[in-house]
Amino acid sequence: MNWLKRLRSLWRNLRHTGAVERDLDQELRAYLDGLTAQFQRAGFDPAAAARAARLELGGVEQVKEEVRQARMGRLLEELTRDIRYGLRSLRRSPGFAAATTLVLALGIGANTAMFSVVYGVLVRPLPYPQADRLAVVCLHYYPRDFEFGTLCLRDFQTWQAGNHVFLEPSLFSTTQLDIGGPQGPAEPVRGAVVTSGFFRALAVQPILGRAFAAGEDSPTSPSLIVLGERLWRRRFGADPNVLGESILVGGLPYTVIGVAPRSVGFPHEDTEAWINLKLAPPTRYGPWFYRGLARLKPGVTMAQARAETSAIAMRMMRQNPIYKRLTLPMLGVRDWVIGDPRVRKALLVLIGAVGLVLLIAVVNGANLMLARGTVREREMALRLSLGAGRLRLVRQLLVESTLLAIAGGAAGMLLAYGAIALLRAWNPGNLAMIDSVRLDWRALAFVLSISVVAGMLAGILPALQNARAHLSTTLKEGGRGSSGRARRRTRSVLVTAEIALSLMLLVGAGLLLRSLARLERVSGGFSAPADRLWSALISPGDPKFRDPNTGVPFYEEVLRRVRQVPGVEMAAVTDALPPDRQGDADTFGIEGQAVAAGEINPIVSDVTVSPEYFQALQTPLLRGRYFTEHDTPNGQPVAIISQSMARRFFPGRDPIGERIRQSGAELGNQWMQIVGVVGDVKYLGRRDQDSDAAYYMPLGQSYAPRLYLLVRTAPGIGPVAPALRQAVQAASSSATVAEVTTMQQEMARDVAEPRLDTALLGFFAAIAVLLAAVGIYGLIAYSVAQRTQEIGIRMALGARPGEVLRLVARQGAGLALAGIALGMGGALALTRLLNTMLFGVSALDATTFLLAPLALALVVLAATAIPARRATRISPVVALRYE
Amino acid sequence: MPGSQANLLQGTLDLLILKVLALAEMHGLGIANRIAQVTKGTFQVKPGSLFPALHRMEEAGWLASYWGESENNRRAKYYRLTAAGRRQLQAETRQWETIAVAMRSALRAV
Repeated sequence: MNWLKRLRSLWRNLRHTGAVERDLDQELRAYLDGLTAQFQRAGFDPAAAARAARLELGGVEQVKEEVRQARMGRLLEELTRDIRYGLRSLRRSPGFAAATTLVLALGIGANTAMFSVVYGVLVRPLPYPQADRLAVVCLHYYPRDFEFGTLCLRDFQTWQAGNHVFLEPSLFSTTQLDIGGPQGPAEPVRGAVVTSGFFRALAVQPILGRAFAAGEDSPTSPSLIVLGERLWRRRFGADPNVLGESILVGGLPYTVIGVAPRSVGFPHEDTEAWINLKLAPPTRYGPWFYRGLARLKPGVTMAQARAETSAIAMRMMRQNPIYKRLTLPMLGVRDWVIGDPRVRKALLVLIGAVGLVLLIAVVNGANLMLARGTVREREMALRLSLGAGRLRLVRQLLVESTLLAIAGGAAGMLLAYGAIALLRAWNPGNLAMIDSVRLDWRALAFVLSISVVAGMLAGILPALQNARAHLSTTLKEGGRGSSGRARRRTRSVLVTAEIALSLMLLVGAGLLLRSLARLERVSGGFSAPADRLWSALISPGDPKFRDPNTGVPFYEEVLRRVRQVPGVEMAAVTDALPPDRQGDADTFGIEGQAVAAGEINPIVSDVTVSPEYFQALQTPLLRGRYFTEHDTPNGQPVAIISQSMARRFFPGRDPIGERIRQSGAELGNQWMQIVGVVGDVKYLGRRDQDSDAAYYMPLGQSYAPRLYLLVRTAPGIGPVAPALRQAVQAASSSATVAEVTTMQQEMARDVAEPRLDTALLGFFAAIAVLLAAVGIYGLIAYSVAQRTQEIGIRMALGARPGEVLRLVARQGAGLALAGIALGMGGALALTRLLNTMLFGVSALDATTFLLAPLALALVVLAATAIPARRATRISPVVALRYE
Repeated sequence: MPGSQANLLQGTLDLLILKVLALAEMHGLGIANRIAQVTKGTFQVKPGSLFPALHRMEEAGWLASYWGESENNRRAKYYRLTAAGRRQLQAETRQWETIAVAMRSALRAV
């Protein structure tokens, strides 16, 4: 209350200086009047009285100044004194200060790092003005069932025709662009094909030249390219004369019209070039290559936009009977760039978890301070007896704990700096927007505020308890305070809380760990050793290879040369690779299958492969045969299907010999005879369980200009990347090679994000358990020290070491049990938050809920055992002489 | 040591103000007069030390103030002791007595 009043008065002093000044002015004037009246009563004439009074008052301004100083100075002065005293007192117990600082530094450091990550990824404003008014428009329909799926040009026309809410709907599609020309060998970069409204929707200005103008997405428009700043600097030496130049993109001439600032990372962070999409009038539905990007008109809300797009979706469904349950889901730009919605969820879970770590650190700090309070009891009692107010003492102790927390914050900042540098260098979870994760003034402000809050929180309970020292008893008791019992009770409660909180984290980490183990055990669908499988994305460069008649021979030549590379056992090309590099997906028809009008079979992966693909991967052949070199364009069209496809669409019968065809009936694709059934291969990541159906077509009968090279090397062969690159470019000098990796790397990347989540939560849980162990150790050790005499007497009266051990251990066990019971309750309530992060493990997984408390109990018992064993070695003689 | 002398005087003034206000609520001039009266003129408190002391003690929470009417129907700022001020008075009185006893015996011993 006193504090509150004081704060209010300080606030008044600072804020309402005018009112305070007026008050003071009136007060002094009243004094002067009173004094004058007094002098008059004493016999002075009025003028002389006034003069005498003024003389006695001295300079009015001077008095005022002194009053001001007295008012303002007092609080600051006391605070400075508290701080100086606190520093001195902390210097006297460096062990305590270091331990508390370290404990708080762990908590604050972990929180600061996590805060910076969450801020950078989820909060930091995007480089587009009013980015919250931008929407990425997708298409979701049954049977494709891809939530944020793509639109085709027909859909775009329907959208444009019905649009009233967006300024200028635009389309974009990501692609790889092979930038060629005299500046060096052709270089594959991530690019995008966009309609003319794209940059106007983003509302970014090029740093050089211009963006696409209206109408530059017409079929007759010239081919134009906007370079990203990084590409422009890297490849063109930041030459402004590049504007208007014609450069080769995929072997075709494009005119450079502008350079976009490096801040533009859309559709992807690493997009480095944008070319204009030429909107030829569509003759049919598909291909579904595009997503929409549009900015809301001023005054239109997202809800209104949603209402209109669902009306447009109804229209699309009426126009095309294949679309079932069609919606136009919209994503914010940030959600689009982050990609997987699980990332946001995981980050929020992690920030919650790290908050628990801070809480444990604070509780631990409080515990240490309580322990120190025992030692300081006499000091407190002495100060009380000398007239210090209890509130004064409380404040003193709070200042000390805050000092410690600020020291902890400084150390934590260093920890966070290291952690963020590490995270950015490795980016182990492939987090999007990792570049905007950094320690800045916000992180500094965050550290300062959580340090102060942590210091206050950690300090308040010990301060109240320690300032409650009873004078007479304490001073008489010779050091062992009477409030010791209350303090021990408080400490027990705190330790119990620590155990409970750390159990919650441990259970969470255990669940993620088990989920990750399950996920990693999921097969990618191949049994060849992953470290011997190499892949690379080949782009032939020259546009003539878009024609299968030249493209297929090109790839055959590539394969022939690659097979000559020493150490290469098998080589194949394909447009899709496990575990998550799906190339194409399409529906299919089965000969003789009765499909209702407007119905289609679900969309599944369709993969173009050369012979040896399955042999290189060692994907088992279950029936029939693999593709061979005899499956040529002139031969009988053939297909291989996956086990899941066979099971789902040919139940109870042999699919060999049956015929399927690609896409819907209206395209008139030729029937392909099924010649084999192979094991399921993952093309959408190992987490995905429902899309193992796939059909394969042989290279030649099917073709895509950009294909992956897949190579299996002999055991013990080192990196083959340079040799592969050479072999490809020997087949065509315009060809580019990108994404050279081993299957091992790809399999790790596929689970990188859950692995990062697991590592972080595991790390947090480890800190938590460590802190809890330290907490219980400290408490038991203290209690043994306090009970030295009692234990000595017991032993003198014949208690055996085992009984003493049990006596002490019982205390630890009691705390552990209470903490574990509470923690189990908390974990049961909280783990459901992990649901979306778990794979193949229930949020209430019995094994985890059994093992985690068991492990924690063991740690706690071990922490108890050390002081307990010390208790058994107490010598009765020494103990009775104790003190 | 001029510093310690100033401290002593300040402490004395605080104690005197607390003591005077323990008996009745008063305005600044009244306090000054009363102190001169009870110390038989030993302490003539000047406004330059009185007002900073009053405001400092108000900040410390020992005094509270309000605006009232003076004897000759003028507006004046009155001060009164708070509960904290009363405790402070007790503590300072005790301290002062201890010091006084100690000083006296010390001076006699030599």
